[in-house]
Amino acid sequence: MSVRPKPRRSIVAESIYGLLNPIPFGCFVAALIFDIIYSETAVMLWDKGAAWLIVFGLLFSVVPRFINLTQVWVTSRLTATRTDKLDFWLNLFAIVVAIVNAFVHSRDAYAVVPTGLWLSVCSVLLLSIGNIVVAVERAARGRYINE
Amino acid sequence: MSNTVVRCVLALALVAALGGCSEKASLDPVQQSGNAPPLPMAQDFLVPPMQVPIGVGWAQGQSPKVAPGLKIEKIASGLMHPRQLYVLPNGDVLVAESNGPGAEPVTTPKQLIANKVKNLSGKGGKGGNRITLLRKKDTAGGEWDKHVFIEHLHSPFGMQLIGESLYVANTDAIVKFPYHSGDTQITAPGVEFADLPGTVNHHWTKALLASPDGSKLYVGVGSNSNVTENGLEVEYRRAVVLEVDVATRGSRIYASGIRNPTGLQWEPQTGKLWAIANERDEIGADLVPDYLTSVQEGGFYGWPYSYFGQIVDRRVEAQRPDLVAKAIVPDYALGSHVAALGLWFSEKNALPEKYQGGAFISEHGSWDRSPLSGYEVVHVAFQQGKPVGKPETIVSGFYSADEKKLFGAPVGLTEDQDGALLIADDVGNTVWRVTAESH
Repeated sequence: MSVRPKPRRSIVAESIYGLLNPIPFGCFVAALIFDIIYSETAVMLWDKGAAWLIVFGLLFSVVPRFINLTQVWVTSRLTATRTDKLDFWLNLFAIVVAIVNAFVHSRDAYAVVPTGLWLSVCSVLLLSIGNIVVAVERAARGRYINE
Repeated sequence: MSNTVVRCVLALALVAALGGCSEKASLDPVQQSGNAPPLPMAQDFLVPPMQVPIGVGWAQGQSPKVAPGLKIEKIASGLMHPRQLYVLPNGDVLVAESNGPGAEPVTTPKQLIANKVKNLSGKGGKGGNRITLLRKKDTAGGEWDKHVFIEHLHSPFGMQLIGESLYVANTDAIVKFPYHSGDTQITAPGVEFADLPGTVNHHWTKALLASPDGSKLYVGVGSNSNVTENGLEVEYRRAVVLEVDVATRGSRIYASGIRNPTGLQWEPQTGKLWAIANERDEIGADLVPDYLTSVQEGGFYGWPYSYFGQIVDRRVEAQRPDLVAKAIVPDYALGSHVAALGLWFSEKNALPEKYQGGAFISEHGSWDRSPLSGYEVVHVAFQQGKPVGKPETIVSGFYSADEKKLFGAPVGLTEDQDGALLIADDVGNTVWRVTAESH
């Protein structure tokens, strides 16, 4: 997100966003780790764990994504930077990939490999790029201290 | 802005469409029956083929359709999920009223949703956990007398009488009861005779068949998963036919690799053991055909590694080429997802000439196919102890013409003393009796 002052930004929305937004990324990274372990070991525990992580990641993404959508395209549209918009689209595609991935993870046993693994890589990469571009912009604006 | 919203909606709609797309079947069950069924390539889906009619039961006076020359009557109604039938020597009919024990834990998000969808059909109705005895009235026609025979069972399915002992296969053990001819109730507690694989019970039914000399009991034990998705450790002694020695109560694996052997019977001409089996789901509406097969001692029939002989199922990791190499091709395919759940061999019965000899098979129908298949009782002719020709439908009409409503679903089969075919119906909670049309 941009760090420029956003006069119409709500403190409540900002707090909820700060609280919930990291959760999907954590879930998808964990799912990717589980997918790698499953594809190497074929122990079902990891595959089922990954399936739950993707679903919970998606559930937790609903509220922060709607906050982000509103901020970037409605309430802060005049001050939203290209980075904000890029971050929005990267997140959106990551969520779309994760939804497909949730269906792929509903397949039985090794039918999840390799498609599920590659989709997990995709959603993590998209979110990672989003996080990096936001961090880079923040650094460029002299905001070195992470909140 | 509105442009963006439209784009978002389109993206989400695309995902929903991808999620919703699933294949319709292109082969009908009859095309895919016999000893060399066409088998298309396996597919992976986002959502497997799925169609579940809503269970509504039978209206007053409504009954299944029968083939020309036959008539059908209701001999019992208001049962609690009747699954299996067994005729005692005095002509009394036992009905096991039962359903799964519901002990399978939800371990994936998919199960949460799939269980709800599957139960819409009425197949998830609560079982009575009891056996009811039906006795024909002296007056002709109408429902038979009903007696609660044994209560407090644990998902019972198979029933066999050896001498004066009635063996009941609960989902986790064979239990033995004393029986005297003419009894209409057994109050004596059952004695555990032999334990059966009882973890998870993904496939919970335990089919039971005594050898003609009464020295052995054969038990059909289904797998604990569709295709190993619950791990191989819960598949110990699963997807097998067990042989229990009646004298010592010891058991061994008689044959293996049969995903869900739900019916066991002796083929009368050759005296060989035959089984019907339900094959795996979720690789296509036309895969994998359920089958009828002779069961060879020590034979391996493919599950989970392969199907119809050497066709490897890639969903199973790690593979076992040594087992795949020796996998036996089943004798006779019945069509994909027909869900064969009842088997009865009949040398001589009260039906017309063309139904003498051969096997009757009831097909319960499956969630994993569109359009619907199964939901009927078929007859497969036998020559020299081998199935020949195509299955012929003898009882159908279990769902509405638009495939939206389910009135009943055929399960256990047997033949009463007069040679009439009896059919348990666990969605309609009814027992049906089929005879030749009187002229």
